[in-house]
Amino acid sequence: MLKKSQSSLNLGFSIFILLFLIFLLQLSTKLALIFALSLALGYTLQKSRFCFVAAFRDPLLVGTTKISQAVILLLIISIPAFFLVFQIASNLHLPIELNVTPFGFHTFLGGLLFGTGMVLAGGCASGTLMRVGEGFAMQMIALGGLIIGAFLGNSSLPYILNIFHEFPGVFLPDIMGWVPAISIQLLVLILLWLGIRKWQKSKRT
Amino acid sequence: MREKLQIIAKGPWAYWVGAIVLAILNILVLVVRQEPWGITTNIEEWSVWLAGKLGLTGNPDLTLKELLLSDGTYLNLGVILGAFWATVVASQARFRPLKNKKFAVSALFGGIMMGFGARIAYGCNIGLVLNGIASSSLAGWIFTIAVFLGAWLGGKILLRYLL
Repeated sequence: MLKKSQSSLNLGFSIFILLFLIFLLQLSTKLALIFALSLALGYTLQKSRFCFVAAFRDPLLVGTTKISQAVILLLIISIPAFFLVFQIASNLHLPIELNVTPFGFHTFLGGLLFGTGMVLAGGCASGTLMRVGEGFAMQMIALGGLIIGAFLGNSSLPYILNIFHEFPGVFLPDIMGWVPAISIQLLVLILLWLGIRKWQKSKRT
Repeated sequence: MREKLQIIAKGPWAYWVGAIVLAILNILVLVVRQEPWGITTNIEEWSVWLAGKLGLTGNPDLTLKELLLSDGTYLNLGVILGAFWATVVASQARFRPLKNKKFAVSALFGGIMMGFGARIAYGCNIGLVLNGIASSSLAGWIFTIAVFLGAWLGGKILLRYLL
């Protein structure tokens, strides 16, 4: 199949991005940096076909675990790296906040709905954004649904918090110390990684 | 060298390469933003603003100007444009229409379930699975187990009604 080159579109789009970055730099260095990083995130997600939906869905649905193993690798790198950044920032008295959120039964319920929904929509939040960029009509509809659902979630949260008790966020190092918290989490992830690799091999034979 | 550039531009990259590059970028976002990468908090802010404009709710918490100056907006915009750029570089940019009308229904309802679920749990696969666990937060692990069970359920529905 003869493929048309899109190099002129590429040139035009690159100039547009460059101008937009310069514009953002006038507003704030932080916004420009964040925008540049998220462009790289979108680029990487697309090029590596990285997909959290596939990581959760495919082991049971089709029996492939390559993406699940990659997601576990991502977590294994991120846990100690986040710890380092948090410690360095604290030592330098710089403000930093990790994602330690309160939880309750609604965390579980939300995860269940989110997990089911992402399989039906063919993309989670990051995957939906990525596929909108790739031009998929299906995920453009899913993004519309995501916006509607986020509003519904926002409006129902007060009622949900009336039904389910909410516990304050638990930062694992606070209850067991840094070294055990990080070691136990890494151990769980490494065992999971080895386990699914073994499981996949046994499925193939 | 030329071959390497070809692979960077055309892809696909191996999954583990993607994992390492994403890990580095995700850490850089944490350093620059002083809080982790997240997606749905910003989508929620836009949805409340939009609903306010449509007269569905009272005063929205944030004004358009605040939303346009919010780093969450540029995180989401950047992912869309970065993925678009990735297809343009490989001369693969095009509109990809629906393969089947029933996928429109499943995309809409799947999207609504995702948006609702993410906002009552305070996060999505990025904010709670990746960065909740990366932050050593118990909520991240609880959410991850639930997402796995949900994906299993979704797979059942997919096989039964859609494929």
